Amino acid sequence: MKFIGQRLFHSLFVLWAVVTILFLMFRLMPGNPLAAYISEALSEEDQASIMRQFGLDRPLWEQYFIYLGNLLRGELGLSFHQRTPVWEIVMSVFPNTLVLVATGLIVAYIFGIIAGAFLAWKRGTWIEAVTIPVVLGTRAAPELWVGMVLLAILSFNLGWFPSGGANSAGAFYDSELQRFLSPDFLAHLALPALTLALYLQGIPLLLMRSTMLDVMHEDFVTMARMKGLSEWRIVIRHAARNALLPVVTAFAISFGQIVGGNVVVETVFSWPGLGRLLVAAVSNSDYPLAQGAFLLVSVVLVVMNFVADVIYTLLDPRVSHARVA
Amino acid sequence: MLHRRTFLGSLAAGVSGTALLGSIAPASAQAANERIRKIVILSDPQSASPQAFQAAQLTAQAWRQLGLEVEVRPLPRQQQSQIVWYERERWDTTMWRMVGRPERSDPDELIYNLFHSSTARAGFNFVGYNNPDYDRIAEQQRQATNQEQRRALVQQAQTMIDRDQPYAFLVHPFNIGAFNKTIWDPASIVTQSGVGIRNFWTFIGASPLTAQKTMVLNARFTVIAVHPLYVSGATDSWITDLIWDRLARVGPDGLPRPWAAEKIEWKDEKTIEATIRTGMKWHDGQPVTADDVVFSFQAPAQGDKVPMYRPFVADIERVEKAGDNLVRFHLKQPNASFVTSSLAKINLVPKHVWEPVMRDIANRPENIEQIRDPSTIGSGPFKMVRARLNEEIVLDKFADHWAAPKMDRWILRIIPNPEATIGMLRRAELNFLADYGGDPEVLEQLAREVPAIQVSKETDIGFEFVAFNNRRAPFNDPAFRRALSQALDRNVMVNAAWNGFAVTANSHVSPSLRFWHAAAVDNMQTGVALARQTLQQAGYRVSGNRLYYPAGRTETLQPGE
Amino acid sequence: MPASLESTAAVPAPSRRSRFLRTLARAAAVPGRDPFAIVGLTIYLVFLLVALFADHLASRDPLEILFQANGRLARNLPPSSDFLLGTTHLGRDIYSQLIYGTRAALIVGVTAAIAVMIIGTLVGLVSGYFGGWIDSLLMRLADIALSIPFLPFVIVLTAFLRPSTWNIVLAVAILLWPNTARVIRSQVLTVRERAYVEAARVTGAGNGRILFVHVAPNILPLSFLYGSIAIGWAILTEASVSFLGFGDPDVVSWGYMLQDAFVSQALSRGSYHWFVPPGICIVLVVVAGFFVSRGYEEVLFPKLRD
Repeated sequence: MKFIGQRLFHSLFVLWAVVTILFLMFRLMPGNPLAAYISEALSEEDQASIMRQFGLDRPLWEQYFIYLGNLLRGELGLSFHQRTPVWEIVMSVFPNTLVLVATGLIVAYIFGIIAGAFLAWKRGTWIEAVTIPVVLGTRAAPELWVGMVLLAILSFNLGWFPSGGANSAGAFYDSELQRFLSPDFLAHLALPALTLALYLQGIPLLLMRSTMLDVMHEDFVTMARMKGLSEWRIVIRHAARNALLPVVTAFAISFGQIVGGNVVVETVFSWPGLGRLLVAAVSNSDYPLAQGAFLLVSVVLVVMNFVADVIYTLLDPRVSHARVA
Repeated sequence: MLHRRTFLGSLAAGVSGTALLGSIAPASAQAANERIRKIVILSDPQSASPQAFQAAQLTAQAWRQLGLEVEVRPLPRQQQSQIVWYERERWDTTMWRMVGRPERSDPDELIYNLFHSSTARAGFNFVGYNNPDYDRIAEQQRQATNQEQRRALVQQAQTMIDRDQPYAFLVHPFNIGAFNKTIWDPASIVTQSGVGIRNFWTFIGASPLTAQKTMVLNARFTVIAVHPLYVSGATDSWITDLIWDRLARVGPDGLPRPWAAEKIEWKDEKTIEATIRTGMKWHDGQPVTADDVVFSFQAPAQGDKVPMYRPFVADIERVEKAGDNLVRFHLKQPNASFVTSSLAKINLVPKHVWEPVMRDIANRPENIEQIRDPSTIGSGPFKMVRARLNEEIVLDKFADHWAAPKMDRWILRIIPNPEATIGMLRRAELNFLADYGGDPEVLEQLAREVPAIQVSKETDIGFEFVAFNNRRAPFNDPAFRRALSQALDRNVMVNAAWNGFAVTANSHVSPSLRFWHAAAVDNMQTGVALARQTLQQAGYRVSGNRLYYPAGRTETLQPGE
Repeated sequence: MPASLESTAAVPAPSRRSRFLRTLARAAAVPGRDPFAIVGLTIYLVFLLVALFADHLASRDPLEILFQANGRLARNLPPSSDFLLGTTHLGRDIYSQLIYGTRAALIVGVTAAIAVMIIGTLVGLVSGYFGGWIDSLLMRLADIALSIPFLPFVIVLTAFLRPSTWNIVLAVAILLWPNTARVIRSQVLTVRERAYVEAARVTGAGNGRILFVHVAPNILPLSFLYGSIAIGWAILTEASVSFLGFGDPDVVSWGYMLQDAFVSQALSRGSYHWFVPPGICIVLVVVAGFFVSRGYEEVLFPKLRD
């Protein structure tokens, strides 16, 4: 418990640092934030009043404390463009990103774990010789390119999947859950999730494989084999136990990273998610919105790192020794 | 790092460079400080506008043949706006565009705002063109209520701009649209002059051929607000157009026609009366009254609370209810474009919804743009169902409207990416292509493969151009601007940059506005040889393949400053 | 660190030098023992040669606007003997872009890798060797850097500064050093307790000398290992950033080509000859980094594997 408290404090500290860096990044960049409002109707007085409105006329340190205070109250400000609360805009697309990331990760981990175990079993055969480079290759392939190729073949050429978006026009559901389970949504989800899964499967696969290989050389396996037990069954049981820790930790960390790194996949598939929102906000110079989206992504990252830490501690009490040694 | 090879395109066709260069001027006695500095062309990055980027490259190639050193500098939109639009001073040339809008069917907005000297400091005249003769003509056309007389003035303004070349106009692009003709009766799709098939008249007139009575159309840019007193995004106005009615509307022919007013009558040069159609209702069922109309024209004038619409009521001295269905406007001065620029522009809003809002805002620092429309209630032919601004907007027909649409439902999908847009059109996830930024050739290919898709092309009111910063040398010299403009072969621009989907331009009034356009300025003579000749006549000198100022003038600026 | 290398030469410490040489020798022998490393190094070599001789290999300037004999723009042409991979929508030669893209990729990859290596190694050395508050401070910084979402940060930075290759390298360097630093640090922790370091300390060697002369040579191979992984990361990042439209508009890179193809609707047109080759090149370079680092990891640091 003490450890968890420490980690929590540490995470909060990191979060504060990230928030501060974000503030400085967005306030100190060159250029007039109002350049986004290129409009015939804006007089100089109007411009000044908007500066006041967004508090941009105050000294930097004052802006910083206002900003911190607002964050503590969950206040992310108004979007420059849409004039609606950033929180609302960000939250309207966040579920889409979460579902996409979760689906991609789960598919990748199920496949990776099974394939990893299989490859360990096939160590030294031609199957391994062929598969490992392929696995590394998919890991090295840029998601944007994999997405483009899938889109060109499966959607534009063969017409099997929709070419973008998360729902068909006019689709309306009573609840988000109903929407996520609708065939329409799942059809739209398939290609982006597949792209993501292809990119992600390498980690669990290689982790699982190396854990399996280690286990296979251990004494108790040899003993079990002598006792006449099925070798495969024992290896699976022990490997699963040993692999659980790194795989679950990797899952948590990946989750945090992908929520922010998903920008590219969302762009290729016109997926209405957080990443695309962020890119659009940055290109439109909608700073409050960009900042809000960035902040949410950072929070997810910090939280998932914290979760990974906690899982690691809970599942493996030796953690503190292991690290020093 | 990459060494550039000489450009051998058709721009150079027929001109033997060195032969001419040798003949221009004595190659001696030019001091280094008389040489023209390196010229920078600001441009959109290729990703934002491949056409403009390509045009910038072609422009640079052509100007290099005149002996100029030229750099194309792609900048993100925001940085470009910062330098060109806000700071105004520190740039040489830039790629720029004016977009077509129905209300620009009246030439006043472009004739006056683009080049009148009063808008040079902070308004539309960002190039800083300053010509008192032009100012006078621009003012006169605004007040000329005689149509023929006004036309002569508008054409005179175009000739003047042709002579002075404050911009090098490049092209009027085609407005590309498409629809599924197995779902929508092609006869019911209206092409609006200078705008294309995506317009109000199509949306109320399109008749479904089957049980599919929902129009699904696309937009490239996110909707910023659905708001009768604040229009910001490029897409926003399509929606406000349908939800809120106006006294007049710009018809398919580009001319204003009475709409929510049965009749609009000039009483004298400065008085105009509108008779409101009877029996109109707001979407909440309440009747539309003369009081609502009066309020709708008063609200934008309240202080500085409605900046976006205030300019459009600026000419109104007073508006009053003159009868149950009669509203009278007293103008400060005669205004020839008043019906188009005010009556067809101001949204009619329900007084019972907005009066409390306007009262409330009077004492607060915000303006109306920070206030979300509390109800989205208008009296137009469509009513709001739901809006997810980044994804889709759903409208239903307002059956009680006197010109109710033939379709049941109108769904606007926000799809930034042209690939996805084409894919959806192919799969019939879209049945109306309203906004297309991609390659028209791909669309035509699709139409050949999928016969149900019909493509339409219409010359835009808007245009694309290279802007010169008229404030600073050497661009403050009309002869220099003219020469640079002459160096650009507009047909090459049309073909190599716009892929043939545009017509050449040399005027701020599009040829699609047949009544106003001055045919005299068409077919400007171009060619590098001609450009060189113009430079020579104006005293510019070439030495060692470099261009120098006329004798006695020196360079005072650093490149890229 | 040329200064410290000079002083290395002045110190008669055969055992230390031979240790370093032994490590190098082992590193040089890796390709002979690991087929992955051979393949990886070969790929690197090929791309390096292509980048060096790009001027000779490319048939045209990658940004030159090409016209056909009839004066029309040479757009969207299929592969032919004249244009090996056809032309782009705006009439540029795809093959030449691919060749010059190699140069851009390697410049980004190598400079970013060097930056990551230098920062990561220095921080790891100082942090691990001195410990105490310096260590805490640097490691907190590392935690913070690791908690900033990578791609969004790069996008925002390049958008705010100026879309240029160097800003992408800068962003990669700012966020990617902690991984290297952490590994180096833990390695330093074990090295600094070893007998020869202790011996140096007893003979009165200063901290700087011990650090750079006695400790650093032992961890250099590890820095190179992490550097080679950073090459791939930087190239992938450049591709993603360019694809999203925040790349350097004047530099033809593979990411630039993919973005060009995407916005020019090469997918709808089925122009596989346009968007497949740059993707394959990226895969090859990045995978080469994986292969090389895998081979070296197994040979040099067998213990690191678990």
